[in-house]
Amino acid sequence: MPFTEFWEWLQGHPTSQYIGYSWWFPFLESIHVVAITMVVGSILMVDLRLLGIAGLRYTASQMTRELTPWTWTAFCVALVSGLGMFVTRAPVYLENPAFQAKLVLLLLACVNMALFQLWTFRDVAGWDTAASTPVAARVAGAASLLLWGGILLTGRWTGHII
Amino acid sequence: MVTSFSTLMDLHERLANALSDSQAQELARYLLGNVPGLPPVVQTLHIVGISVVMASIVMIDLRLLGMAVPSQSISEMISRLMPWTWWALPLNAVTGLLFIFARPNRYFYNPVFGIKLSLLVAAVTLAAVVYQLNRRETGYWEQTLARRISGRAIAGCSLVLWIGVVMAGRWIAYWDYLFY
Repeated sequence: MPFTEFWEWLQGHPTSQYIGYSWWFPFLESIHVVAITMVVGSILMVDLRLLGIAGLRYTASQMTRELTPWTWTAFCVALVSGLGMFVTRAPVYLENPAFQAKLVLLLLACVNMALFQLWTFRDVAGWDTAASTPVAARVAGAASLLLWGGILLTGRWTGHII
Repeated sequence: MVTSFSTLMDLHERLANALSDSQAQELARYLLGNVPGLPPVVQTLHIVGISVVMASIVMIDLRLLGMAVPSQSISEMISRLMPWTWWALPLNAVTGLLFIFARPNRYFYNPVFGIKLSLLVAAVTLAAVVYQLNRRETGYWEQTLARRISGRAIAGCSLVLWIGVVMAGRWIAYWDYLFY
């Protein structure tokens, strides 16, 4: 594993030790769950709109404009609480196959979102009100659904391996 | 009050006893122990259900509080999103019950589980009130000042209750941490 010394140092840091051996760990974990339900739930609403399944009386751009800020806010909370748990046993998590899979899926979800924003969403004006969204938007929505489902699964699985 | 509380405790004990060493427990234990990956998969389905409930209800609550999705109408949001919640809650009940059947004593003698259920009952009741009144009269929560204010109060309580339900759910596994 690269940067082994850094991860060991991070784990040994008094703050990490304090979180790991106090009520902070379960507290951060429960905050993490609240945050991810909001991340996944709000993404689900946008995905279902992109797939042409739900929320069709609103345009896709309205949906993304109004929901994305909440997704990002919840994501930041999930990231901070997740890092707080990660530091308590950093080297162990990095060698955990479920955690590794989760990181890969998170990366893929980011790529999927970036591609959608930079490419498909650019000409949103052409398909904004149409219930039948273009194939590229449907693919992005379906991929996002699967990826976030996988992120939940591998995240939950991480705790079963440690 | 004291008698009703002790009756409730009796109910807990009786449920725990009825499930212990029952065939339901045997089946749940067999499935969770022998189907590879079943516990995390079922837990993930539970979290997916919670995500549907949380996003739907939190977004409606934030809309009632005037904090989110300004372009969507309150009554339209309630009638569009709440049915998703009514489908997700049974999914959560089924996935949750599998774990309760497998280890009834872990849940029925756990005060955090009792807290979670109480908060859940209150939260679902509020959601049902919001849904039913809006169904009986479209635009119910937008019409008078008194209704708008009570809608905000309900939304605030609902937010706190649902966050409490989810956090308590996670703390069930840590309850000995809390009390010992």
